[in-house]
Amino acid sequence: MLGGLIEANVEGRPEKRKDFDRFAARVGIWVTDIDEGVTLDFKRGSLVVHNGLAPKRDITIRAEAETVMTLSNLRIGLFGMPVYYDETGRSVALKLLQGKLKIDGLLGNIATVNTVTRIFSVAGEPEKPAA
Amino acid sequence: MAVKPFSNDWADQFKDQINSSAVYKQTGKGWKWTVGMVVEAEPDKHFPDSRGVVMDLFEGEARGIKIGSAADAQRCDFVITAPYTRWKQVAQKELDPTKGMLQGKLKLKGDLPTIVRYTKATQEVVECSTRVPVEWPDEK
Repeated sequence: MLGGLIEANVEGRPEKRKDFDRFAARVGIWVTDIDEGVTLDFKRGSLVVHNGLAPKRDITIRAEAETVMTLSNLRIGLFGMPVYYDETGRSVALKLLQGKLKIDGLLGNIATVNTVTRIFSVAGEPEKPAA
Repeated sequence: MAVKPFSNDWADQFKDQINSSAVYKQTGKGWKWTVGMVVEAEPDKHFPDSRGVVMDLFEGEARGIKIGSAADAQRCDFVITAPYTRWKQVAQKELDPTKGMLQGKLKLKGDLPTIVRYTKATQEVVECSTRVPVEWPDEK
């Protein structure tokens, strides 16, 4: 589903396509309450999705399913930065502080986290009929 | 009174539950697409034929919920497909719909970014379905 979400996002939004085409990183997402995860291997314009956590990840996001969905709803503000001051942003920040959302490798990879967030974000999408 | 799942009586009660939900009224604002639930047959569970639930949801309101064929549901803007037992797990809160979709236990067809934007509304619709008392055919 996460791979499908990125595909739909990139196809529908030129600004996300630009990020996607430049982005190279290996991002793990581990959904803690279902004990399953994926590794998203971004390779400048292509994406390979591996089941489970593959080695040599740049960052790994660990959170419950609902939080992973909330991350996708973060708004993107000025300079392409995620917005942490609205209701959704505050709930994400709180989960980070409470340790309910963990991002391994965050220090030193903040730009990677921001780019992944931009590619994932569905907030503010233009409304369109279902595919 | 308990009703048969995915029957016309069930659909009427489900619709009433959605329309009495203040949470759905709020979180469903902006939603204007039809949603089809395909309930796949499981004859060994006394659910012999696949069924479709066609939900006309609009701006935080259920305008109509009808029972039809699986093909009717598949014509909706968004289609969620699962066998009878999975839907029963969802209705009994044993399977969270968000987790179910992430795991592929509930198969979703439609524009993913749109449905992700309405995660809370989706959860509330499912919550409404759990409030309908049901007599499950495999528990008779």
